Amino acid sequence: MTNNHFDVTIRVWRQNGPDEPGRMVAYKVKDISPDMSFLEMIDVLNEDLIKKNEQPITVESDCREGICGCCGLVVNGEVHGPDEHSTVCQLHMRRFKEGDVITVEPWRVKSFPIIKDLAVDRSALDRIIQAGGYISVNTGAAPDANAIPVDKETAEEAMDSAACIGCGACVAACPNGAAMLFTGAKVSQLALLPQGKPERERRAICMLEAMDKESFGNCSNEYECEAVCPKEVKVSNIARLNREFLLANLLGKTEPNAPAKHLISTPDVPEED
Amino acid sequence: MNTLFLKRLITTSIGRKALMAASGLLLGLFMLVHLAENLLLFKGEVFYNTYVDFLLSNPLTIFLEFGLLGLFIVHITMGVWVRIEDFINAPRGYEARKWQGGRTIGSSTMLYTAAAILAYLAYHMLTFRFVDHSIGFYQMITSAFRSKMFVAVYIGGALALVLHLSHGMQSAFQTLGVNHPKYTPLIKLGGWLVALAMMIFAFISVYYLLNLDLKACGTSEMLVIR
Repeated sequence: MTNNHFDVTIRVWRQNGPDEPGRMVAYKVKDISPDMSFLEMIDVLNEDLIKKNEQPITVESDCREGICGCCGLVVNGEVHGPDEHSTVCQLHMRRFKEGDVITVEPWRVKSFPIIKDLAVDRSALDRIIQAGGYISVNTGAAPDANAIPVDKETAEEAMDSAACIGCGACVAACPNGAAMLFTGAKVSQLALLPQGKPERERRAICMLEAMDKESFGNCSNEYECEAVCPKEVKVSNIARLNREFLLANLLGKTEPNAPAKHLISTPDVPEED
Repeated sequence: MNTLFLKRLITTSIGRKALMAASGLLLGLFMLVHLAENLLLFKGEVFYNTYVDFLLSNPLTIFLEFGLLGLFIVHITMGVWVRIEDFINAPRGYEARKWQGGRTIGSSTMLYTAAAILAYLAYHMLTFRFVDHSIGFYQMITSAFRSKMFVAVYIGGALALVLHLSHGMQSAFQTLGVNHPKYTPLIKLGGWLVALAMMIFAFISVYYLLNLDLKACGTSEMLVIR
């Protein structure tokens, strides 16, 4: 059964910590099944390294079915590997052949510092979400399903934006290291829906300002992000972010950082001196 | 008075890019007007010089000129600012990197074509704006077009404009938030048409370089007399 198995050479980025110097190290991986996923191939290599009492390669992954956004590698210079619009966990060894030399690198993004080897810290994206990528709701009984009508086209469009898994491929592929596709998708998924409308101005300004605080570049509309996005998030989301921000900034009547009026509690009894 | 929203046009990334995009679109519009004016050369010396005199006799023209200077300053300042940030934050150090088809020749050379256009603009101002105009504008322009050296530089400037606008025009709309399944393909096409129209500048100069105007009048002897 092993007649279709093959050997490859992996050139992988090894780096002990965020401030340590890194280097490319070559490993021979033998007897690879074409049915293995790329990450399983790294698992095999890691088991081998552990047996040899060497440090295994740190690589981030969780669901391994392309929906969580944990994995993210640059394989042979291609973000998420050679398959179009898929995460690297969906890449299989059948895409390679005997004797291939495969270069594996982490996202080399200034705002995603390398934690170790191939794992990077993407918390910069979390901080953008924290600045406004949510809706404020009153807790209580679940509302009636059709209480707020949403037409199918809009629901689909919002869902397409919400498909973003926050893997950071858009930033890694961008010539400038911009996070506009991510931020655009996160602003869009809420701006499109009635539930997101009350806070849309505040959200656009706050999320953009949070994005600017991180070390991301500017979008120059080259659309490399759209070409690599595993969830096929469209650059129309970037235009929507531009639009949301410019309209909120130029036409919005309140400042985003001022507390919303309904949140200011007025004491029933005036305080006594 | 709330001036925070005006500050945000400078302090945020989208604000800066919107200023660059809006000034860029207006400069593109100016280039189309400039092109239409250059086409008036074909109407002949008397017509062209009368038109220029009409323009210069309008006291508002000087304000428009300063407005144009302002557009250039905003466009260049914001462009350089944005590019410096990009340079600092761009992903670096990939051992191998393959672009996935998003980039175009126009989009990846914006900075270089911008520098070429600026250099050309300086040359253009020194040859046409800050010189003695007493021989008449028609004479001044057409005699410049009869120099091979000048036409070569002129065509270079036009080509840089074509590349710059091929990305810049449609990109400006996206930056200003205009993206629609119906209109974006038309905007992209329109952007390319405006970009390619810049080649008409080059054609006009070649027309005069080859003395086609004199041949058309059957007065090629005129050149010898001059």
